[in-house]
Amino acid sequence: MTNLWPQLERLLTRVERPARYINHEWGSFVKADADFRFCMVYPDTYELGQANQAVRILVNCVNATEHLAAERAFLPAADMCDLMRSEDVPLFSLESCAPLNEFDAIGITLPHELCATNVLEVLDLAGLALRSEERTEDSPLVLGGGPCVFNPEPFAPFFDALFIGEGEEAVPEALLRIRELRQEGAPRTEILHELAKLPGCYVPSLYAWRSEEEAQAAGSWLQPLEEGLPTTIEKRLYTNFATSFAWEPCIVPYTEVVHDRLNVEVLRGCARGCRFCQAGAMYRPVRERSADNIVDAVLTGLQETGYDEVSLTSLSSTDHSQIADILTRLNEACDNKGIRISVPSQRLDAFGVDMANLVAGQKKGGLTFAPEAGTQRLRDVINKNVTEEDLFGAIDAAFAAGWRRCKLYFMIGLPTETDEDIKGIASLAQRAYDRARAAVPPEQKGSVKISISCALFVPKAQTPFQWDGQISPEEALRRVGILRRSVKYRAVDVHWHDPKTSFIEAVMSRGGREAAAWVEAAWKRGARFDAWTEFFDEDAWREAADELGIDPAYIAQATYDTNRVMPWAHISTGISTKWLALERKRAQEEITTPDCTMNKCSACGVCPSLRVDNELAEVRHG
Amino acid sequence: MDKRLFRLRVYFKKKGRLANLSHLEVARALERAVRRADVPYAISQGFSPHMKIAFGSALSVGVGSTCECFDVQLTRYVSADKLCEALQAASAEDLMVTGCKYIEPDAPAASVAFPVSTYIAKLSCAPTNVIVPEIITVIRKKREKQLVVSEYLVEQPQLAENELTFTLEAKPTGSLRPDVFLKEALAQCPERPEVISITRILQRESATA
Repeated sequence: MTNLWPQLERLLTRVERPARYINHEWGSFVKADADFRFCMVYPDTYELGQANQAVRILVNCVNATEHLAAERAFLPAADMCDLMRSEDVPLFSLESCAPLNEFDAIGITLPHELCATNVLEVLDLAGLALRSEERTEDSPLVLGGGPCVFNPEPFAPFFDALFIGEGEEAVPEALLRIRELRQEGAPRTEILHELAKLPGCYVPSLYAWRSEEEAQAAGSWLQPLEEGLPTTIEKRLYTNFATSFAWEPCIVPYTEVVHDRLNVEVLRGCARGCRFCQAGAMYRPVRERSADNIVDAVLTGLQETGYDEVSLTSLSSTDHSQIADILTRLNEACDNKGIRISVPSQRLDAFGVDMANLVAGQKKGGLTFAPEAGTQRLRDVINKNVTEEDLFGAIDAAFAAGWRRCKLYFMIGLPTETDEDIKGIASLAQRAYDRARAAVPPEQKGSVKISISCALFVPKAQTPFQWDGQISPEEALRRVGILRRSVKYRAVDVHWHDPKTSFIEAVMSRGGREAAAWVEAAWKRGARFDAWTEFFDEDAWREAADELGIDPAYIAQATYDTNRVMPWAHISTGISTKWLALERKRAQEEITTPDCTMNKCSACGVCPSLRVDNELAEVRHG
Repeated sequence: MDKRLFRLRVYFKKKGRLANLSHLEVARALERAVRRADVPYAISQGFSPHMKIAFGSALSVGVGSTCECFDVQLTRYVSADKLCEALQAASAEDLMVTGCKYIEPDAPAASVAFPVSTYIAKLSCAPTNVIVPEIITVIRKKREKQLVVSEYLVEQPQLAENELTFTLEAKPTGSLRPDVFLKEALAQCPERPEVISITRILQRESATA
């Protein structure tokens, strides 16, 4: 492969933070002994992508497979993208500094809905055709995966194949198959046909897209272009997750990145069943790694990386059946070394005095809890299953243990929300503040701070709320206004996320294949780095919609009956659509559904359809 | 035994691609190397405990060095040779530890011990003459500041083909960055040489030593 380093090196003095582009981090290596080269791409900058779990896991899995080698690539920052274009330097991998279009296959992870224009920026900078149908025989296969493929359609035409679900086993299998076919001299079309036969692999170009009317009549938006193609693509799971070692090699970056610490995944899946949550649907069933595995992994990882912080990651780490044991053992092992142990996504009903002391460690930054909604009624609608008393108990424990700041995270625009629910957010936060003040010594009462952080509800594919429309950005701002006027305490501040970007997220989350043309038109008008406030270009998206004559507001905001066939009906998490519809009905009736890891099975359908079970290290007590 | 005695000075180089790192990036990388090497480092007491480590004077992004150092406080004695070996095994090739020695508890901190630095710059072509400007204007905290070059430049720069060697002294009130000095000094050259690399090759205590 071509080494672009001499060309790249000359550009480094002209861009910000050159450390993003230089490779050579601790832990980085090139696997020489392989004849099939794969490049894993994160469609945003190094600072955001380097810590990404998908990139780390898949690069490791591919490198661990005979014949296959994997490298990393990131989208350069905007200044570097522009400079590379003007100097004719194509997008490169970090390890070999090789052009992406010289790899056998590239894999782009799709972490969130706002990454779509960046995917096109990646393909264009790499000199690859944007659409699968335009790629030539010798161009690399462009593969995709990650959270966004649970509604793949807005991305579909840009990818040769998409992998639904967990990639630990699926990706190396598919790459070996591509290698085999390439060695046999198979043309691109045959490779795509063969990939479509693999479980969990969706090849969009083999299906035509039906009209609304046809889709509703046929029960699917996909029209297979020939016989024998699957009409439902079921997600893949990593079958050995629970027993696999929780430590895996990781690269220690030089420049500061997000989540710049040792991340050890302690469990996968969450069965709490919040009705807005797509991750809960994607990662079912729940699989816990054992305490012995986790403690061993943390200590090995700290030794190998030199990090001074470890995070026990998962969707809900405090739900781990052995979390107290794990934290006690780690606190002992790391005593007096200046090592910080953190647990993200604290469940507020699991945060008591014991947990406060276990995670208190030494340094107390902010603490975040997510009540999500301001009233018990609305929390029942969304199945959050936490009460005011849970929150106040958590606040008491946290502030008594030494915390002084707490962020409360809420969603605005949830189905059935009224102005009373919005006022409830202010009331809840102010009462939380009163409890916090009461829990600290008199001389420190002045330093108590509570902040409210609001995001606009985005209806997500594969959830019970997939049929519910988003409120308009104007309505969202009206509700934020009510919230701000309802907060009377100066020590309680209100932050909110720009509803304009949440609007784009909703369109991408719910759109069909027609949304892909919208993405392409917006990118052509200059949209990129949409998740970055300073780059988000609302006009580009609006003008693109006008040009194509599509109505994004309808896509984001329409509310449907549960018998409507949604544009992602051909993708399955294992959860039955019937169950999603039942959950939506229960939401409207304000009936909650308990967590199946602590109560009886809620019959979502994942275990029987994927032939799996929850795997818990010990019995959980709710 | 007086624990203050376990004060280790570690020498390292910064070169190749890693010359592109900032001072902060180098500092974080070194701390991690110390932890990987199992050096028995001391931690500070208090609200936010951290490693007792102190870094030498900052090098700009893009400037390499053969002679950097940092100090780390230890909790017990381990021979300097052993520590050096462990640190080398835990260090990246381009940020390699070159030596270790114990220093006196009251020795000046690494950041102020060596105010005088000699740099060598490789240029894209050999200029016939380099004219040192009298004043260099820099922007500090959004304000223009006039630096009198003679206050910082220790001796006349030496030109040998396409390599320029020069020595700058950092003052308690501020310093003149080698990359800024070079840019201004080369601006007058009709050959328009570009800077290929800048490397710090010597750090010393005083201009006269």
